[in-house]
Amino acid sequence: MRFSLNSLKRVLMISHYTFKEIIKSKILLNTLFLGFAILTITYVALSFTYGEATKISLDFGLGLLTMSSIGIAIFIGVGLLSKEIESRTVYMVISRPVKRHEFIIGKILGLNLVLMLNIAILSVFTYLTYFYIGGVFTSLLIWTIFFIMLESLLVLLLVCLLSLITTQTLTVIISLAVYVTSHGIHTALKTSFTQSQPLLEQLLKILHYILPAFYKLNIKSFLLYQQEIATSYLLGASLHTLFYCLFLVFLCIYVFKTKDLN
Amino acid sequence: MLTFYNISKVFNTDILKKSFTALDDVSFNIPEGKIIGFLGANGAGKTTSIKIAMDFIRPSSGTVEFGETLRSNKNTIFDKIGYLPERPFFYPHLTGKDFCYYMGALSGLNRSTINKQIHFWAPRFNIEFALNREIKGYSKGMLQRIGFLVTLLHNPKLIILDEPLAGLDPVGRKELREIIVEVNKQGTTVFFSSHIVSDMEEICHDVVFLKSGRMIFNGSVKSLIDKNTKLENEIRFIHDGQLCVKIISEDKKLAFLNSCLSQNDNIISVKRVQASLEEIFYEV
Ligand SMILES: Nc1ncnc2c1ncn2[C@@H]1O[C@H](COP(=O)(O)OP(=O)(O)OP(=O)(O)O)[C@@H](O)[C@H]1O
Ligand SMILES: [Mg+2]
Repeated sequence: MRFSLNSLKRVLMISHYTFKEIIKSKILLNTLFLGFAILTITYVALSFTYGEATKISLDFGLGLLTMSSIGIAIFIGVGLLSKEIESRTVYMVISRPVKRHEFIIGKILGLNLVLMLNIAILSVFTYLTYFYIGGVFTSLLIWTIFFIMLESLLVLLLVCLLSLITTQTLTVIISLAVYVTSHGIHTALKTSFTQSQPLLEQLLKILHYILPAFYKLNIKSFLLYQQEIATSYLLGASLHTLFYCLFLVFLCIYVFKTKDLN
Repeated sequence: MLTFYNISKVFNTDILKKSFTALDDVSFNIPEGKIIGFLGANGAGKTTSIKIAMDFIRPSSGTVEFGETLRSNKNTIFDKIGYLPERPFFYPHLTGKDFCYYMGALSGLNRSTINKQIHFWAPRFNIEFALNREIKGYSKGMLQRIGFLVTLLHNPKLIILDEPLAGLDPVGRKELREIIVEVNKQGTTVFFSSHIVSDMEEICHDVVFLKSGRMIFNGSVKSLIDKNTKLENEIRFIHDGQLCVKIISEDKKLAFLNSCLSQNDNIISVKRVQASLEEIFYEV
């Protein structure tokens, strides 16, 4: 792999048009729709709850944010590469002086940009209402959004990799399963039942290490219950995720380079 | 310009199923400056060969080599190659123009060059009117036209077209054939597949003929026809005031003509019967 200015230009060009193509499919209309749902729920919460309104609106907003970005990552991500191959559009791009790794990085960047935009729009809705009804600022507000971005990027990369080696349906099922399992194992490891079964515990621990650590990125409860969280944890989790993402990118590139594009 | 050396391709669709040999030891050369037709029935392996040439899929054995003229840049030969896939389909939400900008930019062209090229080619392809529409609304023929247009944007030295004339009406076929001849005259080597034989007969210098994954002929259209023409003659003459047509083999021709002359028949024409490429295609 060689990186040069021209190479970078091509990557950006591919991500630009990928972004354009997805935006024109009107996916962000859903985002706006969700934004107004946040406003409505907050309005309802304000009139029916006493003092808890900020928490409910935040909980709901961040929940929608996570779900919609994971949803986009999975359901748009699954077709990001496989649809290109299926409909032969990939041929048009790589018959130009474009390397396969440039193509794949460009595609992923393009969809990631859509994810970031979705997250940005919804966090503006969420936090503006939060502040409007009297919420106070903490740095966790920023970290939470950053972690949702990392989480959706991680899901996206996992989905891309799976979509290169299996069918679209299996990709969706497996990635949802991994997502749920990662959260589940973390909880399971803490139960006394698991701790009393050494074999099960070992097995879960191994899975725990291999699977992407989605559970690490869920810090919403700290925010909602106004608990402290160590900066070292935040930095550690970010670094861990970034390395995992890098690893997945390399795997994607390797698989794509050796693949027959049929 | 482009040479296949002993290319074979075996598809292993399923571990349980038998593997399938799509190409078997195929070797041929596309000489510079020519229009080469790639002939073969459905499933003969044309698209598979082209995908191997473009490095979309890897051969099971053998190598593909590109000529020196394509290698001005050490990184890639794809700067100077234009390619059109069969049944092309492009990003549905982009407009035709955006698609041209995208493809042109990937080939390293700037906006004004691309605009100039669009301005020059769009009327020739009769696609001007649709350039600002989203591609998802394009008809099959329009996809073919815009696809052909983008393969010419960067003035390639070699264009590889997989069934460029399929799905076009007779007028469109003629227009595109003329464009192929024109870019060839300007120095572009053309390699295109088709099973519409008459198109090839008209414009190709040479043909490469595949049958079930094997190459069975590589040479000029004329020599293919000569090779497969039976030595027969069609003789038209007037006998007793009536026009008669007789097909007769070469060795009996003279004797027959003599007998005609002795009966005072009026001989109108003696013509060698030539099989068209079409007939050969179905015979071989
Ligand atoms: N990915 C694949 N897996 C298994 N078999 C394949 C694959 N791609 C092509 N084949 C087989 O290889 C053979 C050649 O196919 P190819 O598409 O090259 O034919 P073609 O000459 O282009 O035909 P057509 O004129 O119909 O386009 C066919 O029998 C096809 O079924
Ligand atoms: Mg074909």
